[in-house]
Amino acid sequence: MDFKVLRGTLKKELLTKYRAYPMDFFIGNVLTGFYTILGAYMMYKLLFERNMNSSFANLTGTSDYLSYVLVGSLTYLFLVRTCLNVSRSLITELREGTLESLMLAPFRRVEYFLGNMLVQTLTTTMEVMISVLVAIPFGISFQYIHIGSFLLAIVVALYSFFGISMVLGCVMLFTRDTYISQNTLFAFVFLVCGITFPSEYLPAWLRTIADFIPITGVVTLIRNSVLLGKGISEQSTIWINTLLISTVYVLIGFILMQKCEEVALEKIHS
Amino acid sequence: MRSFVKTFAAEIVKQHKNYFYSKTIYISLFLWPLFSFITTYYSFQVFDLSKSKVPYITAENVVVYLLLGYMCMSLFRCLVQSAWRFSFERFHGTLELIFLSPSNRAAVLLGNAVASLFESVIITVVFTVFMLVLKSEALFFKLLPAVIVFLLVIGMAVVWGMFLNSLFLFSRDTNFLFTVLEEPMEIFSGVKVPIILFPLWAKMIAAIFPLTYAIEAVRRVMLYGSSLYEIRIYLLIGILIMIALLIAIMIILVIVEKHIRVTGNITLF
Repeated sequence: MDFKVLRGTLKKELLTKYRAYPMDFFIGNVLTGFYTILGAYMMYKLLFERNMNSSFANLTGTSDYLSYVLVGSLTYLFLVRTCLNVSRSLITELREGTLESLMLAPFRRVEYFLGNMLVQTLTTTMEVMISVLVAIPFGISFQYIHIGSFLLAIVVALYSFFGISMVLGCVMLFTRDTYISQNTLFAFVFLVCGITFPSEYLPAWLRTIADFIPITGVVTLIRNSVLLGKGISEQSTIWINTLLISTVYVLIGFILMQKCEEVALEKIHS
Repeated sequence: MRSFVKTFAAEIVKQHKNYFYSKTIYISLFLWPLFSFITTYYSFQVFDLSKSKVPYITAENVVVYLLLGYMCMSLFRCLVQSAWRFSFERFHGTLELIFLSPSNRAAVLLGNAVASLFESVIITVVFTVFMLVLKSEALFFKLLPAVIVFLLVIGMAVVWGMFLNSLFLFSRDTNFLFTVLEEPMEIFSGVKVPIILFPLWAKMIAAIFPLTYAIEAVRRVMLYGSSLYEIRIYLLIGILIMIALLIAIMIILVIVEKHIRVTGNITLF
């Protein structure tokens, strides 16, 4: 185990991004964070002049709408980026014509996907930091943050993103479609997982579905630790639940991926 | 002229077959607008709707207000997505074949944009049905202005799509254009927050996007029952934008072709 594949993938992906898609790499990453906070700010400040519905504070435990939306949106952004990189990695190789040569090499799948994920995590972390910096003048504050709990939440979050993107990656490779599958998933997660509004507003059956997507737990965990300053032991059930569901996703992802690769290679020139 | 029409028609048929080869396209047509609309509806619920600064946003008609904005945005987005899908022609190598043939470049772009009109019409129908089912009493519109405004919005969307398409011809690395042109469109063109409330700097950004005028004209016609005379300024601006964009497209096409001759590459970067 000298992580050759992991290092190789890391290097290759960073170089591809930097050399082939430099405009996207820099401009795309800097601006998205900015838009997120701007959109929320406009609704909050301009349209409703900070008048919140009283149910919001009751449900969320905070009246700080902007921070609430910022944390939610950044978590969502992280998920989207992970899916775009990890799920799409193999199908992008298929499109760019490198899948065949990749498959000829005896490479470890786990390291390949983790390498992709690592590149993505690095760039998105940069993006998130820019967004937080941009958000400070808008009146964001993280004064209650519980650092330990927050760091653990990040680890759990990355794990669950990885699980989801593995499953999505299988669907993509099998159907050879990235457009419909990814955007449907994103739109659905954005709706049910409590990204910009508490999921308690939704009808009960939708909330039941949301419970089976680990993002719901992840967003809650990150918000609790960043905005409400809750510690690790106070929210142990959410930790365990989220970890369990994510593990299910990771397992399904890896088992399915083996099958999907075979199908994808069969259909490579069709 | 004949070859222009021929290319144009061929491109429409090609793209239509390309998009509708699989039934999954209907997911994007029905499900996505529905999801994003429901999300916005709920994200309005966290605010105290009785205290909004705009008289026509109340708890009762916020649905129709949002639906109209979303309908216009979806129309534009259809065209933007057609531009995005066109960028794959570069990856697949078909763009090179098109440029090798003596076909008119503008006809190809136009055909590609018009091909997604069919989707746009479906989207409009879906949204109209939503509105009629949810709140038909909030709508006060006259037929003629409604039809004209609808045609104007479609026209603007097509030209906007062509414009993006022409920009996509430059390189594989054009995804950032979405970040620059597509995402701010949703924030600044008044889909959720009306332009009147914007501070000056935001109004200036809003003025760039054709969608801004489209949404404003549609809301005036559908919610206030404005006549064509009352919205003449929007019609005029809309037509001017279309002309300006068409001129820009022609110039860009010439530059692209020169650029391609220099780099000698239409498939890679």
